[in-house]
Amino acid sequence: MTTACPFAQTLERMTSETAEPVRSAADFPLMPVGQACDMGHAPDGTPLLDPRIFDSREFFRNPYPYYRIMRDHYPVFRDKLHNCYYVTRYEDITRCYFDDEGFNTIPKGSSSGVLGNTQLELSGVEHKRRRNLYGQHLVGQSLEARIPIIERLADSWITSWDQMAKEGKVVRDEGGKRTVEIGKAFANEFPISVVCGVLGFPDEARGQFYYWYNSMMSGLGGSETQKMGLEARQDLEDYVQGMVDERRVRPTYLYDRDGKIVGKDIISKLCETKIDGDYLSTEEITSNIALVVGGGGETTRGAIMNMWYLLLQHSDQATTVLGDESHWDKVFHETLRHSTPIGGQPRHNSFDLLMHGQHVPAGSLMNMVDVSANHDDRIFKDPERFDVFRPDLYSGKLLRSGYSSDGRHSHMAFGVGPHLCPGAWIAHQEATIGSKVLSRRMKNPRIRVDLMPKDIDGVSLAPVGLGAARELWLEYDLV
Amino acid sequence: MSDAPTVARDGPSDTTSLWAGTLTLGRNGVAVARRAVTKGAGYRSYEVHQRMRVRQSTEKLNPLRLVSPDFARDPYPAFEILRENYPCYRDWIGNAYWITRYDDVTSVFTDEANFESRSKLWFYGAEGFGRDLRSEAPVIVAQARGMDRHAADVAQTVIDSFAGAGRADLALDFAARYPLELLARILDLPAGDFDAFAAHWFAMQRGWDWDPRAERDGLQAMGAMADQLRPLLEARRVTPGEDLISAIASLDLEGGPATAEDLVTTLLEADHETLHGGLANLWQLLLTHPDQLHRVAADRRLVKFAWLETLRHSAPLLSARRFARQEVERFGLLIPEGALVICVGAAGNRDPRIFSEPDRFHVERKDLCPREPRGQYRADGLPAGIALGLGKPTKYPAVPEDRPRSIYALTRDVAVTASNVLLDRLGDIRLAPGVAPSPRSLRLGEMHACWSLPALFTAR
Repeated sequence: MTTACPFAQTLERMTSETAEPVRSAADFPLMPVGQACDMGHAPDGTPLLDPRIFDSREFFRNPYPYYRIMRDHYPVFRDKLHNCYYVTRYEDITRCYFDDEGFNTIPKGSSSGVLGNTQLELSGVEHKRRRNLYGQHLVGQSLEARIPIIERLADSWITSWDQMAKEGKVVRDEGGKRTVEIGKAFANEFPISVVCGVLGFPDEARGQFYYWYNSMMSGLGGSETQKMGLEARQDLEDYVQGMVDERRVRPTYLYDRDGKIVGKDIISKLCETKIDGDYLSTEEITSNIALVVGGGGETTRGAIMNMWYLLLQHSDQATTVLGDESHWDKVFHETLRHSTPIGGQPRHNSFDLLMHGQHVPAGSLMNMVDVSANHDDRIFKDPERFDVFRPDLYSGKLLRSGYSSDGRHSHMAFGVGPHLCPGAWIAHQEATIGSKVLSRRMKNPRIRVDLMPKDIDGVSLAPVGLGAARELWLEYDLV
Repeated sequence: MSDAPTVARDGPSDTTSLWAGTLTLGRNGVAVARRAVTKGAGYRSYEVHQRMRVRQSTEKLNPLRLVSPDFARDPYPAFEILRENYPCYRDWIGNAYWITRYDDVTSVFTDEANFESRSKLWFYGAEGFGRDLRSEAPVIVAQARGMDRHAADVAQTVIDSFAGAGRADLALDFAARYPLELLARILDLPAGDFDAFAAHWFAMQRGWDWDPRAERDGLQAMGAMADQLRPLLEARRVTPGEDLISAIASLDLEGGPATAEDLVTTLLEADHETLHGGLANLWQLLLTHPDQLHRVAADRRLVKFAWLETLRHSAPLLSARRFARQEVERFGLLIPEGALVICVGAAGNRDPRIFSEPDRFHVERKDLCPREPRGQYRADGLPAGIALGLGKPTKYPAVPEDRPRSIYALTRDVAVTASNVLLDRLGDIRLAPGVAPSPRSLRLGEMHACWSLPALFTAR
């Protein structure tokens, strides 16, 4: 029993200003990357986790030590401030993702408002049917047919740098060298233009699309930008609606380099698709177009940015990769493992359950933290290290969801199971083809460290943290 | 991964879905048994999914504001935005629905079929710790008897300790101390145990919410309090007195006699905010509204109305949490099973649809029901303020003389008694010069009460 102090002292301790050194999420100190700040310990020495950390800047830039605490000490972490649970181990997440019945996707997650009724929030049969409708356009032969289009788009973006160099903003020429901000000059809009191409949107609508996509992305999560997101979604829907009405009557086609018809674009195909004998409603088509625009953009943008940012910080690996294009698949997979652009997916448990000793009542929000699964050292050795040639990561040409054999495992960036990202294959193609084209056109690329955001020491490059690098200044030799 | 996840299915395992047991032909003409689909929250038709429209966006209030230090200091501006714009606010950060209008809040409280409350032990994640014995008749009787007997003399003792000085911090010396001294008397705690008991008490009551350090300290305190009270409980099993511990010790319970853990659980689940925070806020409001203080001092019948008006105007417990038992369509939204609904009584208490000039503290308010501050019903056609944290109504109605009054009425009477003693003993009571006291929550989500109220007076 603790020694009793007089009543007045008890009150004094409670009410003094110093009783709470951390008043809000903004008060957490920024720590060196890889170290967690001290949030107290349980009597048995287990570190405690203050849930306000999840809203802090510190967590956003340096999340991995905190996820490690969760994986090691709280595999199902109960967060009473945010009224949710975090599942953080690779094997647990895999199992939950595959259990579509026990862990449902009803729209309590923050995407529902802005993206609309999408297949993200369907379960079971309803989900499977709709997913197949859209998914089939993003894989296999349909995808192969689009590869030349992707390559052509990437090429034309880089060609446009000559024009941009005259403005001297995101592309600058100096002394036989060119400096490029890869985000603004390429990665932000390239995936959107691919999506527009696949959907069959006219080229001139691309700028508008980029705005809509940006607004929708920033509106996720219900902050004050949510209205912007909802407006953007409404505008996109109105735009697509007109297009759908038109293509119901007059379908449009995709063409290859030689002007031969490759096939109908997705919208035209969806217009003639039936479920239970009924054509898809315009609402159904537009919601999922919104999802394709949102999902096809942010993740691929993040992947391209992170691939180059991380690879060029490891010069020995960069030399090998730039010398042999076949390694880009490995770069893609290792980047998505090491710095996953999308943090994870929400699930809700359909039934009361007991998991690792934690009781979770039915209907609770359970966040499946893909980022943490990718850093689970039960699966990936020395997970904080970026290693393109990592032997324990499956990194083949084809994406293998939930692959786990010969000591190799697929990463979790696209999730696994029935909700595996249907855009995974096209994102893979976009990112690797885009990067290959970039590597062909840039001689001896390196990071312009002086132009990049720095970490807290003011010297080293800022860590990627959660999400993706926002800007990336590269320099290469003009020949 | 052998230990995860074990799925325990409760409720009816209803497999009457149209897929159950049907056979279809697979690709090679082989009969394939479809997996039986259990009816669960995830299986609903496509059409019921809600979609937010532009007009439903909630850009006037960033959800981060609801976890900010400003909010802990003064939540009422945020409550007003919620109440006037978003009667059912979907909080994406806190994963909750905030209900802020008077009629909506009371409608959730009375809707036991759709919304459940969960115990503080559940929030602690320590549901097996002990049993909550608050609804046992002998416990209610002992508590009511103790409050009635000791309310006045405990108030005298507490005031004795500072009356001679001519000045005191009424928030700490009186409002914080009095409820605990009274509880100690009801428990018949030896005088030497008080300081330790009080320290455990505060740690225990502050620990069940979101802060893991407070949770750790609270669980430790609960264990320590059980150790402290165990000898008393065992002794009074043999020689019972008239106190609350004796009443609990001699309960005839199905699962065996009450343990020290049951006693601690009973104390934990009991309200602790209303008397402490209500007294602190009552005196803060009276001292900052001297005209009203004079009227109350001159006409003591008004003390009761000042108490009720305080619970309306500055409720110490701002909100109560409810969880949806099943998917329910309310307030224009589809609230999913298991969803957290935060019922902000304090916002409802300032709802201009119900109370005129709701932000004004007015002890002679004509539109406030002078009965128990329950909010659930409107005696005399008048709305009552919503006071939270006093637990479910007992199954013993308040009306017949020989039955104990409800805990609402008991708390009110104790507060009125203590305030009357204060008015009797301290003459010319006034705020110390240069201070502007206001309520605040020491930690986000905690009681919203005045924690510093320096006052001057002449002892009588």
